[in-house]
Amino acid sequence: MASLTGYATVSMILFSLGAIGVVSRRNVFVIYMSIELMLNGINLFLVTFARYHFNMDGQIISIMVIAIAAAEAAIFLSVIILLFKTKKSLDTDIFTELKQEVE
Amino acid sequence: MTDLVFLALSFFAVAGGVTMLLHNNPIYCALGLLITVLSIAGLFALLSATFMFMVQIIVYAGAIMTIILFILMFLNIKEEDLPKEPKKNILITMGVILMIPINLLVLEGVARLPDADMSIVEEGFGGIKELGMKLYTDWLLPFELISILLLVALIGAVVLAKRRVKKELNNG
Repeated sequence: MASLTGYATVSMILFSLGAIGVVSRRNVFVIYMSIELMLNGINLFLVTFARYHFNMDGQIISIMVIAIAAAEAAIFLSVIILLFKTKKSLDTDIFTELKQEVE
Repeated sequence: MTDLVFLALSFFAVAGGVTMLLHNNPIYCALGLLITVLSIAGLFALLSATFMFMVQIIVYAGAIMTIILFILMFLNIKEEDLPKEPKKNILITMGVILMIPINLLVLEGVARLPDADMSIVEEGFGGIKELGMKLYTDWLLPFELISILLLVALIGAVVLAKRRVKKELNNG
């Protein structure tokens, strides 16, 4: 059970759940958490292959992914706070300031 | 034994992800993601990546998820602030139908790889010493670049927070 295919299945399921969440949900927070879920799935994939090849480079790449996710969390959450303070909503359809008006 | 632990952890990981995907309330979504993150930490331990196990628990479950929960409670989101999602279930079903072939393709490729021993390594793999040696010799430049990225993110967060204060002063 705990073979390469098993781990790959779990990580691909997590990645797919994250991708589906990004495209189908409209809550900004849930979209952010879906991105985190995708990063987690890819981390699991990297660590699985690090064990499979008995080579620790995959683990180092996944440490870097975690560092980037931490930086992303700081920026994303401060942007969400600003958006929520100005618009009083979490709906992604309201945030259309940069949208070009078609005439 | 390893198989049993693997099954339990992967079940919890997938269940947490599904909870996050389906729930309307962001707090429940964050708790589902927390369960997923902790189960993935357990899977890292099964893959004998002990340092990754610690980093996952400290950074993800300890820092990132706590920040998310803190901000969710700080914003005091009411039921009417949540976006209405009337087409959510249809979109999720379509997404599942779209993602199944991609998953099958990747898993088909993975299943053709030769089988290898995936049992837990006792020593000399994935520990803090081996990983640190590798990080500071082979991966020194990416490591330093990551530190610059974290610095830039820190400055960015401060700038974003400061601008709001200035605006409020101008308005008042």
